[in-house]
Amino acid sequence: MASGHRARVLIRAACLVWLAGCGKPEPVVKIGFAAPLTGDQAPQGQDMLRGAQLAIEHANSQGPILPGIRLELVALDDQRNPTQAVAVAKRLVADPDVVAVVGHLNSSCTMPASAIYHQARLLQITPVSSNPQISRQGFDTFYRTCATDDLQGPAAALFIVKELSAGRVFVLDDMTTYGRGLANELIKKLSALRVEVIGHEGITQGDKDFVPLLTKIKSLRPDLVYFAGMFPEGALLIKQRAEVGLAGYFMGGDGLFDAALIQLATPRAAEGVYLTTIGSDIHQIPTAREFVKAFETRFGSIGAYSAYTYEATSIAVWAVRQAGTKDRSAVLAAIKRLKDYPGLFGLQGFDAKGDSLIRDIGLFTVKAGKFVFLKAASWD
Amino acid sequence: MTPLQLFCQQLANGLTLGAIYALIALGYTMIYGVIQLINFAHGELFMVGAYVALTLVLLSSAGPLPSGIPWWMTLLVCGLGSMAAAGMLGAAIERFAYRPIRHAPRLNALITAIGMSFFLQNALMLLYGATDRHFPNPIPLTRWEVGGVTVTLMQLVVWAASGLLMVGLQLLVMSTKLGMAMRATAQDLKACALLGIPVDRIIATTFVIGSAFAAMGGMLFGLHYGTINFHDGYLMGLKAFTAAVLGGIGNIPGAMVGGLVLGLLEGLGAGYLSSQWKNVFAFLILVVLLLFKPRGLLGERVADRA
Amino acid sequence: MEGFRNQTVRWAIGVIAALALPILNPNPYHLDVLTNALLYALLALGLNLIVGLAGLLHLGYAAFFAIGAYTYGLLNLHWHWPFWIGMIPAAIVAGLSGVCLGVPALRVRGDYLAIVTLGFGEIVRIAFTNLEQWTGGPNGLLGIAHPKIWIPGRGLIDFGVASMPYYYLVCITTAAVAVVCVRLSRSRIGRAWVAIREDELAASCMGVPVLQLKLLAQGCGGAIAGLAGAIFASKQGTVTPDSFDFILSVMVLAMVVLGGLGSIRGAILGALLLGSLPELLRWFEQYRMLLFGLTMIVMMRLRPQGLFGRSSQGLAPDRAHAGSA
Repeated sequence: MASGHRARVLIRAACLVWLAGCGKPEPVVKIGFAAPLTGDQAPQGQDMLRGAQLAIEHANSQGPILPGIRLELVALDDQRNPTQAVAVAKRLVADPDVVAVVGHLNSSCTMPASAIYHQARLLQITPVSSNPQISRQGFDTFYRTCATDDLQGPAAALFIVKELSAGRVFVLDDMTTYGRGLANELIKKLSALRVEVIGHEGITQGDKDFVPLLTKIKSLRPDLVYFAGMFPEGALLIKQRAEVGLAGYFMGGDGLFDAALIQLATPRAAEGVYLTTIGSDIHQIPTAREFVKAFETRFGSIGAYSAYTYEATSIAVWAVRQAGTKDRSAVLAAIKRLKDYPGLFGLQGFDAKGDSLIRDIGLFTVKAGKFVFLKAASWD
Repeated sequence: MTPLQLFCQQLANGLTLGAIYALIALGYTMIYGVIQLINFAHGELFMVGAYVALTLVLLSSAGPLPSGIPWWMTLLVCGLGSMAAAGMLGAAIERFAYRPIRHAPRLNALITAIGMSFFLQNALMLLYGATDRHFPNPIPLTRWEVGGVTVTLMQLVVWAASGLLMVGLQLLVMSTKLGMAMRATAQDLKACALLGIPVDRIIATTFVIGSAFAAMGGMLFGLHYGTINFHDGYLMGLKAFTAAVLGGIGNIPGAMVGGLVLGLLEGLGAGYLSSQWKNVFAFLILVVLLLFKPRGLLGERVADRA
Repeated sequence: MEGFRNQTVRWAIGVIAALALPILNPNPYHLDVLTNALLYALLALGLNLIVGLAGLLHLGYAAFFAIGAYTYGLLNLHWHWPFWIGMIPAAIVAGLSGVCLGVPALRVRGDYLAIVTLGFGEIVRIAFTNLEQWTGGPNGLLGIAHPKIWIPGRGLIDFGVASMPYYYLVCITTAAVAVVCVRLSRSRIGRAWVAIREDELAASCMGVPVLQLKLLAQGCGGAIAGLAGAIFASKQGTVTPDSFDFILSVMVLAMVVLGGLGSIRGAILGALLLGSLPELLRWFEQYRMLLFGLTMIVMMRLRPQGLFGRSSQGLAPDRAHAGSA
């Protein structure tokens, strides 16, 4: 009997917590932010969060967003789980103070969540979900500040063929929507250019030991190994590639573009690695100089996703300022008028599908422990 | 490289990962042996060990220690430090989380262990940050060619350290009084208590040793791969559990064999079949093996309790 | 008799409260959290049959959920099966896969069964990721149709991404499955399952067909998860392999244990509690999963037999020792 009583107390306590969650709304305007903040992709998500926080701080320092109303960031954790992403989306939608959302990270989360934002007429700007499928749904609430995978892959393929004249290519990806998508686009273009792709394999995100795989690749004697994935696995691949003595070029996508890559892979092993990025070098664009300085003094080194998220958040703030009201449709109407926005990567704008018009692909190589900008690459 | 050399190289590669699996699996299997608990938090203790070792390595390279200390001395100190830290944490977890519910239904302890795993993993994230950390390696980059097969000093260190620890553990369990008490506790906890064996202390000691082994595995893992992340313990813990079952859970030589076999399976799977199917390959072998040897490779005990 | 009526009244109050809730609190976020928690409850009910009643420790339960979701998703995308028909094969395929897994897996026992089922869960998830030409690989299946319902006077209505219709759908399904589970647990089959759980040898000596009943438990549990998977797929509109990881299997197991092994209302309440807790803890931001873990530890310490468990479960360690010595 006593135990039954304790169970009831527990249940009541849970109900109380639930009720406490439904507080009174404050007089603020909120920008929603959704990304994995815990779990195995927390590093990338927290990187994004820093970019968003900085953008909100900058916006607040430029005066109130709407007369007498404060601007706030609501950061929610989706744990890279599509189910939680939908719950997060519904939470943002249900809050009348939220006028725009920046997120999510994973295409698998952005996809189902975008339908929720669309139905609620809520502006969504994803900084990093690069799967081309998302914008093909025809949602007029969807925008993104990064380029899609169908640009980077072909650009890399052209570079591989024309500049490196590599004849035998081995492609690796990390079996995520991003990695697999990028790898498939690369292979498509490589085959069109009649380059022999001697193998295409996936690795598991979070795995550490790629020595057996690299030993096998070494025995196939490729001219180039391409990895479509994120920097933690990329760094290990580069490091272990040196350990097994796999010669030839190593190339990757923008997921590798993180200062930590070189540190984790050790500068010696990373020497001569090529990678493509979206937009040119953030450190060399005059318009981004202020942002880079502000970010580095506040948080340390810039992560791969911080800049995109800063851009997305700033554009959301811009749209709210233009709308001049907390009305969601007014914000949507405002962003449709966006043209030649002076963003970090140049003059930002969106096409009819909501994809970014900035489609510059930058080519980098690692020299003496630093990323060095080579040139702007073309994708056709 | 001839096919034979390639095969030997892949064997060496697999054995390195397998040795680390074995170190973690030992703790799993010892703890399972004494209290029949699948300690899901074990992978997190492995990570605690790795992070403590990282802190110590960073301290020793930047700290007040005189330079010129040989690298193995640094490693020895760091290893012992992280083993001690993880051992104490393991004992504390046993005392405050598992002991109070030792007589509750068995699955409760499993759920507590899962909760503990969430707790430790997120505590590590909050303490050390979510990004991958570079693990500086003081071991010189020496490598040897033996008949076309490359072996690095790092690999030798992994093999030597795990081999020494395993032999030490085997001696401890088989030929000391403490080991005898541990084996007795594993056989029948109640009877041991009746005979005056301090079972609480024996169980706590088992946790200390198991956690310390995981910590050593964590340090070798960090040194070998050069990067660690708060989330690594999850996958490694899962693999070590698999290795422990493969060898026959509760059986100490079984955990060693299981770890080495799993490492080899994964290495050969990635090397000869396909890296994206290697986990499927490893699990399939495990399932098939259990169908023919339902108690694992070296297992004797039947554990028929849900 | 009195006790029975009392319990029926309590169940009825619970169901009425659940049905009235969206009218009292139409916040779509709260409803969505509850819908997810109820989906967990559905999974917990299914796993309760396997772990709670038949006593088989299963660590790959998410695989059945995945199989159900993919079955409905593929049927809908390739052959345009509507949800109401597609959920039936989803449940059947998942149930059959439970039986198929059971045929070899039940040769091993106890914690060895746990690792075999864990392996099964991982194999299914990795296979869905790797078999790109059929499952869409890591992208998963996109554009799965939401359920539609015909309402007199208003025509065919698509559930879309609204929260309320899914809430009712899951609510009614959970209630129906709970009723089936209650009937099942009180039937000959249910009593035979408990007999196997308590003492397999004794049960088989009494003429209980142990293997067939274990397979039945796996099949029923699998089918319930398959049904939940179909609902999940129709609600999300997309299915990706990363929704079905090991953590999900572990969470559902934690719900069953928290509720009290073998208890049906326990499974539901455990799922509602653990399923909504991470959302309730959002306020703590990055600390929330830390607190979630802590809550699990504290709950197990306060209620070792679960919310509604009986104190004697036949699963205490000393008994287990007696069996193995």
